Amino acid sequence: MSFVARRGNTLVLAICVLIALPVVTRNAVWTDSAALLGIYALLALSVGLSYGQAGILTLSQAAFASLGAYAAAICTVRWGWPPLADLPVALLLPALIAFPVARLVARLSPLATALSTLAIGSIIAIAIRSADDFTGGYMGIAGVPSIGFVKAPASYAWLIWAMVVIVVFLYENLCHSAYGRALNVLRFDQARAAADGVNPPMLVSAAFAISSSIAGVSGWLYAHYISFVSPESLDAHLSISALLMAVVGGAEFILGPILGTLLLDGLTRLLPAAELQGVYYGIALIVILLVARRGIFGLIEGGLAQVRQLRRSRSGEVTALEIEASRP
Amino acid sequence: MIHFVEYVLRGALAGAIYALLAAPMSLLFATARTIDFAVGAYALIAAAVAATIGGIAGAEAGLAAAMLSAAIMSLIFVGLKRLGCEDGIVFALASFGLSAVIESFVLWYWGARSFIVSYVAASWSLGGIRLDQQGLFNLLIAAIVVVILHVVVRHSSLGRMMRASAVNAVGATLAAIPVEGLQMGVYLAGGLLAGLAGLLVLYSAGIDFTAPLGLTLSGFGAAIVFGVGSPLRCLFGGIAMGVAQALASGYLSEALSAMTPFLFILLVLSMRPADTEALAGGRP
Amino acid sequence: MSGGLVAKGMEVSFGGVRALRGVDIVVSPGAVMGLIGRNGSGKSTLFNCITGFVRPSGGRVSVDGKDITGMRPHQVVAKGVGRTFQTPRLEARTSVLTAVTCGLYASVRSSLVGALFGSPWAMREERLLRERAEAEMERLGLANLRHVEVGKLSLGLLRLVEVARCLVSGARFVMLDEPAAGLTSVEKDKLAAEVRAVAARGLGVLLVEHNIDMVRQLCRSVAVLETGNVLCQGTPDEVLRNDDVIRSYLGALGDIEDAAGGWQ
Repeated sequence: MSFVARRGNTLVLAICVLIALPVVTRNAVWTDSAALLGIYALLALSVGLSYGQAGILTLSQAAFASLGAYAAAICTVRWGWPPLADLPVALLLPALIAFPVARLVARLSPLATALSTLAIGSIIAIAIRSADDFTGGYMGIAGVPSIGFVKAPASYAWLIWAMVVIVVFLYENLCHSAYGRALNVLRFDQARAAADGVNPPMLVSAAFAISSSIAGVSGWLYAHYISFVSPESLDAHLSISALLMAVVGGAEFILGPILGTLLLDGLTRLLPAAELQGVYYGIALIVILLVARRGIFGLIEGGLAQVRQLRRSRSGEVTALEIEASRP
Repeated sequence: MIHFVEYVLRGALAGAIYALLAAPMSLLFATARTIDFAVGAYALIAAAVAATIGGIAGAEAGLAAAMLSAAIMSLIFVGLKRLGCEDGIVFALASFGLSAVIESFVLWYWGARSFIVSYVAASWSLGGIRLDQQGLFNLLIAAIVVVILHVVVRHSSLGRMMRASAVNAVGATLAAIPVEGLQMGVYLAGGLLAGLAGLLVLYSAGIDFTAPLGLTLSGFGAAIVFGVGSPLRCLFGGIAMGVAQALASGYLSEALSAMTPFLFILLVLSMRPADTEALAGGRP
Repeated sequence: MSGGLVAKGMEVSFGGVRALRGVDIVVSPGAVMGLIGRNGSGKSTLFNCITGFVRPSGGRVSVDGKDITGMRPHQVVAKGVGRTFQTPRLEARTSVLTAVTCGLYASVRSSLVGALFGSPWAMREERLLRERAEAEMERLGLANLRHVEVGKLSLGLLRLVEVARCLVSGARFVMLDEPAAGLTSVEKDKLAAEVRAVAARGLGVLLVEHNIDMVRQLCRSVAVLETGNVLCQGTPDEVLRNDDVIRSYLGALGDIEDAAGGWQ
């Protein structure tokens, strides 16, 4: 398989971004929406990696994002670091918390693991809210500087979506590696994976740590773009929204979470009454679970497979059974 | 010392409400191997409706609203099952969806205000310790409900069927036990008890649209502290958690007190005592 | 005795029930060792004990003299002991090639970070893995199934894919968990031929099986388990003539030929 074929998702996304962003950034409101959508897309991608690949139903991604956001705010505003110098902190801090927690709970049942992520997310949120002198408590931290060369909202939109493309590129690399395959096996049968030589809790934890780093980056972008963070900026409800976006789009597909974000968050921006967002999200989720449990991408893939099957049976191509019969 | 006793008593009273949320959770986990994340939302909708209508009629309407919500959840559950879903995590995910719908509906219809109604503001003084009557009333209600549940589960034929389907759902189905009906019933009971908890919260500390997630988690924490399995354990779990919370807030910090339920959950799950094995196990 | 896969005095108890009570078994390179016994006799427990899925409460397991007792499954694989599953839960849409490539996990050298960034090193290794997987599939006659989804395979082919997945890891000892269960007689013959070929390459095979015919065809030596003890051990013919074995293992059915076809 060639380089290009193994990076189909990255290419598709890059082309879509290159086509859509120049149009979108002509309008100031759309530009802002595009930037925020990109941030949410990163968050949903982190859910995709964690839930879709590693099988951890995560409810702590917004907490990891707020770690990234506060890392940015504290490093630049309190300690006067130049922007960009805080990126490694925003990447590593969430991972350093996520990894040991995952090691602790990765061997539990999926339900218990999900609850543990919810618990750790809540603990992080409370810690941030109550560490007044450090995080500014309920007031938050204002005046986070913009990232050097990037100042205008349009440049932020470009930066954020460039980051989305980069993350998708890395994600796709992972999926096509031995580790990605092992995660896929793990999700179906941990014993089978262990017999391949995989250390399941270790690999799952590593994937969860990477996913939390992605969330950290989205928080980092958020802090620099909005220039303000508070406990309300990235609260527990965003964790749930990100999960819903990923599931609706198709958590196990690389681009599924991004599609879900565009559909759920993009469309709510067109709806009246922002308060009804939850109604819309919740119903979308329940309908998707009932109609297409693997998300919209799953629906598309199922359809494509059917078409392929139909075409194959028409053209009289050899089927698996015939191959089997012809085996020496 | 007097402070310590006061914290313990207050915590015990506050924890009673967790027990009401915890009891149906442990029943649901036992019979359907899943968690209903929407219980906190049932409590919210019950409180919101009851506060709006007021009085006894309000309380009844609130309970009805909570049960209606739970009925919707049980229908979603059955729908998913009919479509061939056996994965507990998917039911849990769907309950998140319903929870989001209810919270958002409350926010849209009533706004971001918090609901609080005080009927009994009086309190008794016991050797210098003030105990509010509403709190004692809450504990009494929780204890009665939990004891009734315990008797039903342990000593009735309904309970026997529930225990049978908890141990082996397929076997129970073959023995002509209506497993799916039981599971739906447990969802409904969850709605009723969560609605009751919502009313009690409404009459004591008050509730707003952001509360459901915290309530659900507190209930879950109470359900697993002493092992999922029996309603009585949920009562003790709820009380233990309330006490721990009150002590943390009295001696340590408000933040640690808020973290208590979550620390409980992490601690219990990572230690995996024998009774939570059913919840914790499943992976080699 | 240091060569081969040696399990000595294996003991396991589950909450007071003693599933294994001091079992000895040796798998030598180039030979197929059979392990038979009734349901609940401890076959699977012994199997899981050796492969690290169950922690023994007593006894020693060693591979070529190196102690592997109590190691976790992935560590056991790294020591060259591979296993198959009777009915692995696989994602139905995985291709056969991908499934076999999964078996190479233990030999992957590039790091997770390297894989993430798609380093040239990792990419080269990825190509190498695929070549090794294809070579193994070629040897087992699976080459033209490369792109077929595992969900579409017959049970017989699925078991063969399992064997390929196990072999490709470079295992020197291969544990087969009832590979013939549910196969048609044609499939059984094919599988038996492949297992024989595997042993001929110098690998040691432990065959846990209900199917007496298969055991008789393949094994040089057979151990019979009964309530956690080795009842008797020897060549298949010796073992099947042993009165104790006939009483224990075949008592209910009486007729050996019956058992061969109809057991479980």
